[in-house]
Amino acid sequence: MKRYDLIVVGAGPSGLSAAVEAAKRGMRVVVFDENEKPGGQLFKQIHKFFGSKEHKARIRGFRIGQQLLKEASDVGVTVILSATVIGMYQDKELVVRIGDEIHHVKGDSILIATGASENMVPFEGWTLPGVIGAGAAQTMINLHGILPGKRVLMLGTGNVGLVVSFQLLQCGCEMAALVDAAPKIGGYGVHASKLARTGVPFYLSHTIKKVEGTDHVTGVTIAQVDSKYQFIPGTEKHFDVDTVCVAVGLSPMSQLLKMAGCKMVDDPKKGGQVPVCDERGQTSIPGVFAAGDVAGIEEASSAMIEGRMAGVAAAEYLGFMEEAACSREEDELTKDLDCLRQGMFAPKNKGKKIDKTEEGIPLSNTLLTKGYLADDEVEAFPGFTHRVGVHPVIECTQNIPCNPCQDVCPKECISIGDNLTALPVVVENAACIDCGMCVASCSGQAIFLVDEDKGDGTAEVTIPYEFLPLPEKGTEGYALGRDGRKLCPATVSRVRTAKAFDSTNLLSMRVPREFAMKARFFKSGNAADAAGEVAG
Amino acid sequence: MAQRIALHPILGVPEKGRPVKFTFDGKTLEGYEGEPIAVALKANGVMVHRYTKKGHQPRGIFCAIGRCTDCVMVVDGEPNIRTCITPLKEGMKVETQYGVSPLPFEEQGCPSGKKGDGDETV
Ligand SMILES: Cc1cc2nc3c(=O)[nH]c(=O)nc-3n(C[C@H](O)[C@H](O)[C@H](O)COP(=O)(O)OP(=O)(O)OC[C@H]3O[C@@H](n4cnc5c(N)ncnc54)[C@H](O)[C@@H]3O)c2cc1C
Ligand code: SF4
Ligand code: SF4
Ligand code: FES
Repeated sequence: MKRYDLIVVGAGPSGLSAAVEAAKRGMRVVVFDENEKPGGQLFKQIHKFFGSKEHKARIRGFRIGQQLLKEASDVGVTVILSATVIGMYQDKELVVRIGDEIHHVKGDSILIATGASENMVPFEGWTLPGVIGAGAAQTMINLHGILPGKRVLMLGTGNVGLVVSFQLLQCGCEMAALVDAAPKIGGYGVHASKLARTGVPFYLSHTIKKVEGTDHVTGVTIAQVDSKYQFIPGTEKHFDVDTVCVAVGLSPMSQLLKMAGCKMVDDPKKGGQVPVCDERGQTSIPGVFAAGDVAGIEEASSAMIEGRMAGVAAAEYLGFMEEAACSREEDELTKDLDCLRQGMFAPKNKGKKIDKTEEGIPLSNTLLTKGYLADDEVEAFPGFTHRVGVHPVIECTQNIPCNPCQDVCPKECISIGDNLTALPVVVENAACIDCGMCVASCSGQAIFLVDEDKGDGTAEVTIPYEFLPLPEKGTEGYALGRDGRKLCPATVSRVRTAKAFDSTNLLSMRVPREFAMKARFFKSGNAADAAGEVAG
Repeated sequence: MAQRIALHPILGVPEKGRPVKFTFDGKTLEGYEGEPIAVALKANGVMVHRYTKKGHQPRGIFCAIGRCTDCVMVVDGEPNIRTCITPLKEGMKVETQYGVSPLPFEEQGCPSGKKGDGDETV
């Protein structure tokens, strides 16, 4: 039987991070993953990450994945693909299926980093071809370059539902609606706003009543639910769609840990059954560790830190590292992790009702129910200021652990301070040079550059733009409000692309002055009928 | 129906293998070598991969990562092949799966919804 110092199950962000740390300390490490390609969820994520520099913020998920893979191969980690671990025993023996062969391997330490599986809710017609998981949609569009359909309805408004919906828009699908039985949008407001401003409607306190079609999906009916999640008769709404995408949460894939006899606990805040772990990720069986989504559903950024912690702990467990050095590293990593676990979306705040920001500003209710900030709500936030000349307008209104906006500004126009979750503030008297870095780097696409008065009755509004085709300078069209309604005629005045913008284009449009603080998206086409009708 | 992405605003041009021909229920279709069979079928507008044994209900891609078994078909004569994770090869023979067979239920002598013990949810 082959023997290793550390066996890692799962080559996602947590598994790879752990393998890197262990290999760096001279351990013989192998990583098994059931997929053909390593990286877990990371390679399906094409948006820029939140967090701070230490957490690789403003880098797109798939690039973080590429960096991790390179790091792993540099330190000599062996990754064995198309290898499914089907069994684990108390004495740290694993059963691995590779092709038709069954192998037995033994690890002096083991890390389970198997991630999560998608939850499903049954509704009439849920097995029809055309009803797919959100993960499937991501896999199809981002790994295989194929659209799941033309017109999609998304069930679920957590970050997965929001992010995947935006990805679907980006590659050319139409989003009919986002629907959630909960009364409030579960994911980040900034992710929701990216969708709302393009005209995608949100239906909260609604769920799917029936998916229609004989051989495949041809439509879907949703209806409103009451506080007990019962349908309210007469509230049905029908959409013609060919795809229904389901993003109703993830559950830790912790079966292997259970099989091995690790002590387990049901923790709804962690998404289901998870192993009981110490602060370094060690389970009740010494030398068996868990990290990432399998130990509690969170994010890739925290999964990577948890992985590193487990890797370091395994090194110490097997004597590849002194206890003192290990403690120092663990302390550093714990600090990074704590930083990420702050703010209103922190695991500890799950299920809590929060109605004010840390700064004491009332949260936007429109944002939580419709996905956008109402024009009269946005004024209250410290990123929203009026100035003469070009200046940033920051519509980031929830306390999320993130600060690239502060990091990238060469003129220190934007301040968050040391508290990562504080709301970004536009610094008084700082002189913005219109470089565009803040707009392109904001992970939530929540920053706009506005020149409220160009002297000819127009204002210039610069927005982040990640769609194709990219409108050219001079293109006529109309501006959309935060709510996605047609607002006024608009003309593209500038289009900026740069390597430093990392595929986020900056589109500037001229709009009548009075719309400077309202126009937040552009669509080309006939502006004549731009009078308040819902766009898209 | 379904379309391939020619150019993606972030990812650029999708990487694909060489074009190859394969058959689906006897019809010759084209796909790219190495991509999952299910993707090639999707690009050709195929939605139904199989019909369940008991209720004769249609199933198609659901998870796209090899976990749910909704997408299984008869490939080169072998049933229960998960097409979402099986790479396409030149000349592959892909068939709709009825229960566990490539023969439509009528030809199997199994009237709708009477026989078999297939799992209806998967
Ligand atoms: C749509 C979407 C958007 C997201 N956006 C963000 C974001 O903006 N920022 C952020 O920080 N996080 C984000 N996340 C969350 C993030 O992707 C996950 O938290 C992270 O991937 C968890 O990492 P992991 O290593 O624990 O698991 P995974 O990435 O899921 O990797 C686990 C790996 O283990 C493999 N595996 C499982 N079981 C076995 C077995 N028995 N044998 C062999 N291999 C096995 C799996 O196939 C997989 O490759 C998002 C997630 C989704 C779905
Ligand atoms: S445009 Fe440049 S200078 Fe102005 S706020 Fe943004 S990053 Fe700072
Ligand atoms: S404004 Fe700053 S803190 Fe808010 S999402 Fe953008 S980069 Fe992050
Ligand atoms: S679609 Fe789930 S196994 Fe193929």
